[in-house]
Amino acid sequence: MKTLPTLREKKRYLAFEINSENSILRQDLVREISNSIISLFGDIGASQIRPALMSFEGRSGILRCAREKTVETRAGLACINNIRGIRVSIRVLGISGTIKGATEKFIQQSLIKESEPERR
Amino acid sequence: MSQFDHKFYDFLTHPDSPGQMAAEAKRYGYSGIVVTSSKTNEEILLPEDFSIYKGIEIQAKPSRIREQIKKLKNSGIISIVRGGEEEINRAAVESVGLDILLQPLEFNNVLAKAASDHSIAIGFNLGSLIKLKGDARIRELNYMKTNIKHARKYNLEMILTGDSGSVYDLRSPREMAALSSLFGMTQSEAVDAMSAIPLGILRRKSPNYVQEGIEIL
Repeated sequence: MKTLPTLREKKRYLAFEINSENSILRQDLVREISNSIISLFGDIGASQIRPALMSFEGRSGILRCAREKTVETRAGLACINNIRGIRVSIRVLGISGTIKGATEKFIQQSLIKESEPERR
Repeated sequence: MSQFDHKFYDFLTHPDSPGQMAAEAKRYGYSGIVVTSSKTNEEILLPEDFSIYKGIEIQAKPSRIREQIKKLKNSGIISIVRGGEEEINRAAVESVGLDILLQPLEFNNVLAKAASDHSIAIGFNLGSLIKLKGDARIRELNYMKTNIKHARKYNLEMILTGDSGSVYDLRSPREMAALSSLFGMTQSEAVDAMSAIPLGILRRKSPNYVQEGIEIL
């Protein structure tokens, strides 16, 4: 049965961008994010943050977390500095309440911004 | 508007290629970095509205630190001492002219008082939170907690740096603020530590500055 809207857990979607030496596999990223958050906040903290990777391709992706824990999630992402020996740096582009909002506002925008120099 | 509409500075980087670092820092939302690696003399193509400042990380015996700081006084170079044992910290805070004491271990009220008398800023090295794991990171967080307690009590200037050696160690200002919240720094303190206080230090270093309150216009 569906949960009543008022009883649902509130969530936020973080649009992020990865700057890395080589390309990264989705499964490695998922493991690294949960490892980083668990080592920083412990099992209880991780269960409150409830991180989940919604989408990821190549450079940018969307991560879901609990509404009240965006700062902690940001800190967890910032603590990642290598994934299987590949050095990376993750930057949060923006936070939104819906997947659609996060994609339209931050990820597509950053794609447009990057393709601009090629047009000239 | 948001608190993050300021000019941000990272006061300790030591990249191999400052040009690449500058471009990346600009993209991450910084307005300037301080480079302490020696290869700063070469010509670098700087992005618009971005500046690189020269800094020196003083590494010497406690007895020699005073001399070195004296030499650098009035040179316009930003001087940083990487804090450590009590003796190093003491030599650093007792000499006029030092800008930043980075991550001192076993900080205490005597040192904090001396630092506030000589207007030395306390640096928080967030790079250690990014690079370390487990026990070592717990220890660093504990030192930071002690430091922030003393800094608040004695109204010390606080600085957040990434201590980044490559573009992959760099974090954007909002990420730095999130990391600093791990040891109890508030968001406004973090913003000040990356914008207002670095600007103050740069102003003090400019050739027109004579003394607190006296400035050549």
